Amino acid sequence: MFAYTLTRLVYLALVLAVMSVLIFLVTQAMPGDVASMIAGQFASKEVVDAIAVKLGLDQPLIVQYGHWAAGILRGDLGRSLVLEQPIGPILMEALARSLVLAVVALFVVAVVGIGLGVLAAVRRGKLTDQLVSGVSYLGIAVPDFFWAIVLVLVFGSYMKLLPTGGYAPITDGFLPWASHLVLPVVTLVLMLLARIARLTRSSMIDVLQTNYVKFARAKGMPESVVILRHALKNALLPTITVLAIDFGLILGGVVVIETIFSYPGMGRLLLFAIQRHDLPLIQATILIVSAAYCLANLTADLLYAFVNPKIRHGMRAS
Amino acid sequence: MMTAPQARPAVPPVVSPAIAPEPAPLLDVRGLTISYGNARGTLRAASDVSFAIRPGEVMGLVGESGSGKSTVAMAILDLLGGGGRVDSGEILFDGVDLRRLSPSERQALRGDRIAAVFQDPFTSLNPALTVGHQIAEPLIQHKGLSPRQAAARVQDLLAEVGIRDPRRVAAAYPHELSGGMQQRALIATALGCEPKLLILDEPTTALDVTVEARIIELLAKLCDSHRLSALFVSHNLGIVNRICQTVTVLYGGVVVETGQTGRVLSRPAHPYAKGLVAALPRITAERRHRLPSIPGTVAKLAGPPAACVFAPRCPFAEETCRSQPQAMRTDEGGDGVRCWKADALAGTPWPDEDAASDRRPRAAQPRSAPLVEVDHLRKIYGASRSILPWLRRAGTVAVEDVSFTVGRGEVVGVVGESGSGKSTIGRVLLALTEPSAGTVTFDGADLTRQIGSGDQTLRRRAQLVFQNSAASLNPRKTVGAAMDRPLVLAGRADAEERRRTVASLLTRVGLPAAYADRYPHELSGGERQRVNIARALATDPDFVVCDEAVSALDVSVQANILNLLAELRDEMGLSYLFITHDIAVVSHIADRVLVVYGGTICEEGPIGRVLRPPYHPYTEALLSAVPRLAEDGQEAPRILLEDAATAPGGRGCVFAGRCPRKLGTVCDEQAPPVHETADGHRIACHIPLATLAERAAVFPELADGDTRH
Repeated sequence: MFAYTLTRLVYLALVLAVMSVLIFLVTQAMPGDVASMIAGQFASKEVVDAIAVKLGLDQPLIVQYGHWAAGILRGDLGRSLVLEQPIGPILMEALARSLVLAVVALFVVAVVGIGLGVLAAVRRGKLTDQLVSGVSYLGIAVPDFFWAIVLVLVFGSYMKLLPTGGYAPITDGFLPWASHLVLPVVTLVLMLLARIARLTRSSMIDVLQTNYVKFARAKGMPESVVILRHALKNALLPTITVLAIDFGLILGGVVVIETIFSYPGMGRLLLFAIQRHDLPLIQATILIVSAAYCLANLTADLLYAFVNPKIRHGMRAS
Repeated sequence: MMTAPQARPAVPPVVSPAIAPEPAPLLDVRGLTISYGNARGTLRAASDVSFAIRPGEVMGLVGESGSGKSTVAMAILDLLGGGGRVDSGEILFDGVDLRRLSPSERQALRGDRIAAVFQDPFTSLNPALTVGHQIAEPLIQHKGLSPRQAAARVQDLLAEVGIRDPRRVAAAYPHELSGGMQQRALIATALGCEPKLLILDEPTTALDVTVEARIIELLAKLCDSHRLSALFVSHNLGIVNRICQTVTVLYGGVVVETGQTGRVLSRPAHPYAKGLVAALPRITAERRHRLPSIPGTVAKLAGPPAACVFAPRCPFAEETCRSQPQAMRTDEGGDGVRCWKADALAGTPWPDEDAASDRRPRAAQPRSAPLVEVDHLRKIYGASRSILPWLRRAGTVAVEDVSFTVGRGEVVGVVGESGSGKSTIGRVLLALTEPSAGTVTFDGADLTRQIGSGDQTLRRRAQLVFQNSAASLNPRKTVGAAMDRPLVLAGRADAEERRRTVASLLTRVGLPAAYADRYPHELSGGERQRVNIARALATDPDFVVCDEAVSALDVSVQANILNLLAELRDEMGLSYLFITHDIAVVSHIADRVLVVYGGTICEEGPIGRVLRPPYHPYTEALLSAVPRLAEDGQEAPRILLEDAATAPGGRGCVFAGRCPRKLGTVCDEQAPPVHETADGHRIACHIPLATLAERAAVFPELADGDTRH
């Protein structure tokens, strides 16, 4: 298990190293020139050049990359050109807010989605099953921004129950903090629920047909034990993978939802950086998003082992 | 401690046998009719099935796939599921009709008074829970034990089913145990609450023969010591013969014969039972003998049978059989048969296959160069090199230094248990897997090198037939399309000509040419296997590897396919590598046999020699484990092998860990020498040949009169 985790961490470092090169090259290829953007539309060539020299933009690419990468290894993500502040704190703040959104939304999705999936599998072909399918399809088929706008209109504008957007730090008190989270979380849940419920349903149906479930019934176990103890633990494996991908997705920023609810997470930060052509901010944000994705996947694989002893065994061997 | 008498106030005292010669049956099934319904209609799985099991009696319920035997067993457990429904009938257990009980009352009986063991131990245990936990569950559920009390009882139960370190096994997860150990754990689970009735649904079918022999021994002992009654569902007549006192034969959901096991299997009265017994492959050295088979397939019924269910396949059928349903005729001894002609047919055996007088066995060409030569073959799986030191791995040896030849027109059998490396040998011979070391020469050319260089001509000359007839055909392609593909790959451009070839190949394997337009799911298992054989023949090969090609088929169909393979060999001069776990099947078709264990050949020779002493100790155990019918003569004392404790490997003999005749440390430390006799019989063992030859023959009936070799 330890060796397995170590191997995965080595791979993770390799992936991030490759990613950093790609990110650096792609951002370089973006249209527009930082120096002239900072200098403004009417600046003379001399001024632009001076800025370029000051930022080190006149040096060869490989040197620029070296500086950047060395900075990151020291924990220095650089300075934002537009905000004229160190990137680290800005990024961490946005990441923390995205993390809150991801954890709360994923928790709700996991509990409700797995519950509905199990219910649908057990009542397969009956009305409950069809109802779950129908409702979850509605969530997946209608685009997320539609739900977001409907929710904002109903709960924000008409009923005035909840704030229509923004974010309140938890230091302002629990209620303001929570009330700002409700609408974005509900939108995300509507978006992600269907997949989790469908996936859990189908893998649960497979597991319910296995011999060990039949044998558990032959031992006279009550149906609740058969489903929760014998079947669910084995049926959860694919669901865990998808939950981890979703977690990475939210952590990396859900631009549309963050924009509609003016939620200051990773998505909005990235959008801001791209619009303002703030290269160091773009690079740092994308790198952190990649790292978050990889870590979410690693967590999923370790969770796998926790749920399935056979995989744990394989990890010990490998 | 299991046998300690327990007060059970609810159960009336057992009447002593002296007063009542016929004790009331423990399980009395009367007129049970079961059907499966779905949107497309209903299918009758059991029609008016009746039988009784007395206390302490083990009854065999036999029949082929589709006979309804498992359905009946599941109905007793109330676990039909999947649209299955009991339409009518009674299931009396201890005098109580189970069908009148509520679902929760039946659940309370399950695992407590009526326990079950199913076919496949590998999938019957939950991979996510420890074995001990799973055995403890019914004890906690039904007997109200605390988890701590249950854990102690689990250790006793595991010890009782012959597990040597119960503590370790209880804490293990299922994948850490061998198949035999898993099945023991399942039996321990079933015994936990001291049931009165065991439902055993093919409990040894998925196990190796030597393991099966031990499990059957254990079950017989337990049924005896606990005075257990059991319903033993099986397709294997040899096993039924070994453990069951009575037997009920099902065909098409109808009981066709019932009676004492010895009588039914030695003098079957119903034509179907005659056919089943006749089609069973027996150990024989008479290779040219064709196995009798039962033509046709089981008809599917929607309602009550309007005629004898077996009439369409019965060689003795008359007009009456096709127009009237048959009634059960029971004699005073309790034996019953559902055939009005049974008395008239009493002395008539199942007809032999046509001797096919036009079959002209090709003269074997033993003197010419062999077709396939395997030299010091070695295959290691899972070896890996890596820059990360903790990822480097030596791998598992699947095949270790194997050499043999296959002559032109020769059938070489490879017999071994799961994990013996027999399938790997087949795959390397077809260049589906690259050997780690050694060479395979095909008709004088180095197979691995030639295929590695992109030359595919040799592939056309060597083909493969798999075990699973359904999985080896693409469900979305018609039979014709599946067979067309190899022809296209072989460069046959003319579509019309290819169509004619497909038609003639289908005819060749005994299928109508019109089958080219059918999809695999429209065919029966035997028909699909014929298609697989026809496809293998499409490129006109010289050599066919049959990897467990008949293992998944019912006995009657298996006989059919074996006959077909033998015919093709005789007419087309094919060579086969016939890989199987079933030594009886091999004895019917092979000229020479390799007995493999742990990736090495422990014995090799002409079939007639391998079946007679001197034996390699493993071969001897393997042969003695083969279940047989009573009529086949006195059974030799069975040699029971220990479960494999460790994976074979190391420097010594691979069989040393399980060998009942192990000499001592020499077996662990030195590779055994190969004793070879003039007729090509080779045994790799430290025991001198003369000592090996002193053992009694496992099949005394084969001892003399061998005309071959």
